[in-house]
Amino acid sequence: MSAEPLMMAYLASHETYKAGDIIIEEGSKGDWVYVVLEGQVKVTKRTSVGMLTIDVLKKGSIFGEMALFGNALQARSASVIAADGNARVGVLDTRQLIEDYESIALELRLLIKALIMGLKESNEKAAALVVAANKV
Amino acid sequence: MANNSSEAPPIVNLSYKKGDLIVREGDYGVSIYKIMDGKVRVYRESESGEISLATLGEGDIFGERTFLNRASETRSASVRALEDTKVEVWHTARLSMAYNEIPPIIKYITDQVMSRSIRMNNLIVQLATKEQKRKAGIEKEDPLASQRRFYRKKVDLFCHYRPTGASSKFNFEGRVRDISLTGLAITVTRRNAANVSHAIGDIFVVNTVLPNSKNVKLEAEVVTVGKGEKREELDVRMTITDIAAGSKKSLGFFLMP
Repeated sequence: MSAEPLMMAYLASHETYKAGDIIIEEGSKGDWVYVVLEGQVKVTKRTSVGMLTIDVLKKGSIFGEMALFGNALQARSASVIAADGNARVGVLDTRQLIEDYESIALELRLLIKALIMGLKESNEKAAALVVAANKV
Repeated sequence: MANNSSEAPPIVNLSYKKGDLIVREGDYGVSIYKIMDGKVRVYRESESGEISLATLGEGDIFGERTFLNRASETRSASVRALEDTKVEVWHTARLSMAYNEIPPIIKYITDQVMSRSIRMNNLIVQLATKEQKRKAGIEKEDPLASQRRFYRKKVDLFCHYRPTGASSKFNFEGRVRDISLTGLAITVTRRNAANVSHAIGDIFVVNTVLPNSKNVKLEAEVVTVGKGEKREELDVRMTITDIAAGSKKSLGFFLMP
């Protein structure tokens, strides 16, 4: 399924990054939600054994989704870095997204929040397991 | 108001005892649970045992994945009560209509997060399985182990068991129902549990004799305690925490297909 027509209505801007460029930095604060338009990006976490790549996101993938909760003070839980080649990412209009998100029933919002917070926890767990395996 | 109640099934409150299974991986089910009190573990079964994905407490929700992931009909993980736990069960009929009205962009984001989450949980299971195998020393001592297909072999073997460190006057009888190099399930009478704790985390020394008349002695930690086939019985599933080289060899030989 092509996501582009759906995304277009929400695109505030788009940015192009070279391989290795940091799009989101772990620990920084930000309230943009992004979509990968071209190329790939890596999700990385800082650990005691260095930077670990825990996932690679392809075209159509969303990242920075925690900004949906409207809490701009929330620190980013992982870094996102452009992978090989150029990565073009779309920046979504957060205000419109939050408005859409808040239009849905409270119970459903709780489910979506549980899913998104669960992903953060899974990211952390995966990184911790890689660290444990490296310490052997 | 009156016809509202006939359309929307009410929220049900349920209580679980420590150790009870609330959701079983692979089962059909769409209910969503909110923890009102207590603590649960979300886990997946792998060839090397249980792999914890999350520990959830009061206010947390579980079971949402089968509802949000329209591609899946079965539970992606099991959930067990770590303490006595009270939950509110939401029937999804209440939510389906609201789901259909979600703006497409939010649905899209939810689907994307779902697929990242599935990928990440698969990675966790893969990494944790490796770690557990390493801890069990299987990979180190037996390089062929990963190539062979070890599985939980169904058996019916008489066994003796007692809590670690307990004197020999605590010596209970049970039956081993299945066994692998990493875990086993035994059936015991409820009377045993009245005498000494049979709870998650308890460690027992188990002695049994394999059909090839080899003795096996091992230590194992309780991971689940459930109802047995008969009213007076309990099923106790355990992960092996220690097994001597001789016993391991006998067991490995017995388990070979």
